[in-house]
Amino acid sequence: MALVVLAFDLLLAAALIWLAWQATRAADLFHAVVSFIVFGLLMALAWVRLEAPDVALAEAAIGAGATGALLLSALDRLARRPRRHAPLYEPGTAWGFWLPAGSALLAMLTLAAWNLPAPGLGNEILASLSASGVEHAVTAVLLNFRALDTLLEIGVLLLAAVVIWALGQAPPPLVPSMPSPALPALGRLLFPIFVLVAAYLLWRGSHGPGGAFPAGAVFGAGGILMLLAGARPWIRSSEHGPWRLILSLGMAVLLAAGVAGTLSGQDFFQYPKGTAASFILVLEVAAGLSIALLIFALYLRGKPREHGSWGAAE
Amino acid sequence: MTELYPVVALLLLLNIVVGLVRILRGPTAADRMLAAEMFGTSAVVIVLLMAFVTDNPSLVDVALVFALLAALASVTFVSRAWSAMPPSDPDPPCPDVERKP
Repeated sequence: MALVVLAFDLLLAAALIWLAWQATRAADLFHAVVSFIVFGLLMALAWVRLEAPDVALAEAAIGAGATGALLLSALDRLARRPRRHAPLYEPGTAWGFWLPAGSALLAMLTLAAWNLPAPGLGNEILASLSASGVEHAVTAVLLNFRALDTLLEIGVLLLAAVVIWALGQAPPPLVPSMPSPALPALGRLLFPIFVLVAAYLLWRGSHGPGGAFPAGAVFGAGGILMLLAGARPWIRSSEHGPWRLILSLGMAVLLAAGVAGTLSGQDFFQYPKGTAASFILVLEVAAGLSIALLIFALYLRGKPREHGSWGAAE
Repeated sequence: MTELYPVVALLLLLNIVVGLVRILRGPTAADRMLAAEMFGTSAVVIVLLMAFVTDNPSLVDVALVFALLAALASVTFVSRAWSAMPPSDPDPPCPDVERKP
């Protein structure tokens, strides 16, 4: 049985390396994108094998799902470019560069892995888990012990959305030239399930793998699905009021939670005694909503229109 | 019965690796995308098998997210393939996907 498991792991690792090679080296961009989507899929399997279901969940939701849709749609923006027949790199120079560079990187990673502190911080986290307000160690780290990191991560997403809005108006989303009744029906059927799963993952985060990031990614992916099925962004108002509010909600609430600790005479992000559970719940919901809309905003590739429909504007 | 699960998972992974040939060869974009969809389905089953082998119910959630987002990838591809085909879309020499009148 151990032999079967070993064979599985080796096969998985070999396929991952081969797909990474394809994703970076393929001359045809569609080929590269599909390789990348499959890479994300197998990477999630690798995380499952490494007994990291939290990372597997995030990789499945963001890496294989939302990013795939994002890249496939982005390909259309590049569609007018002339086709490239030659590979991206000259074979000779590629080997001359990648072989030494790859070996050096591998050596450095091995060295770093070798020097990792042996038991890590796992025991310390488990010891103070009861004070964190949640039962799941990863959520405790993300929203209590290292909430600052989560604040910065959401900041990065928000920054990306700001930059995309600065690029101008969102182009009209893809509309199938041959209208299919299946797409709107599929959207209506699946969107409630996306919302349900997102809410479930958010709730699950307090005592198991889940939480704001996978929940937000699934919710945002549901929004992308509705857009593809023919729905148009439903939040319309002057100055994008609701958009701005929800996009920055996670960042604002996290920052407020951090500063609340400072103002009450404690450390930054130190929740008052006994209130950690309620703090984390509010942070999860706010961050989840923000992440969902941020992913949706990234997919729109621009500032949504203030009034009117895409069809009329074109 | 559970002893057989790792073997089945290995076979499914082997299936994925064989399917990678379709990703490499194509010849059309639809072949590549269908292969990717087949991988999504196989991955759901592999994760579910792992959930039972390791007795870790949280892996069922991973399979659930896989299944949901595989649908998103196919819908993205379909709406892309059916909208006005970009002229420089992949792979000569076969025409790309079905170009319905």
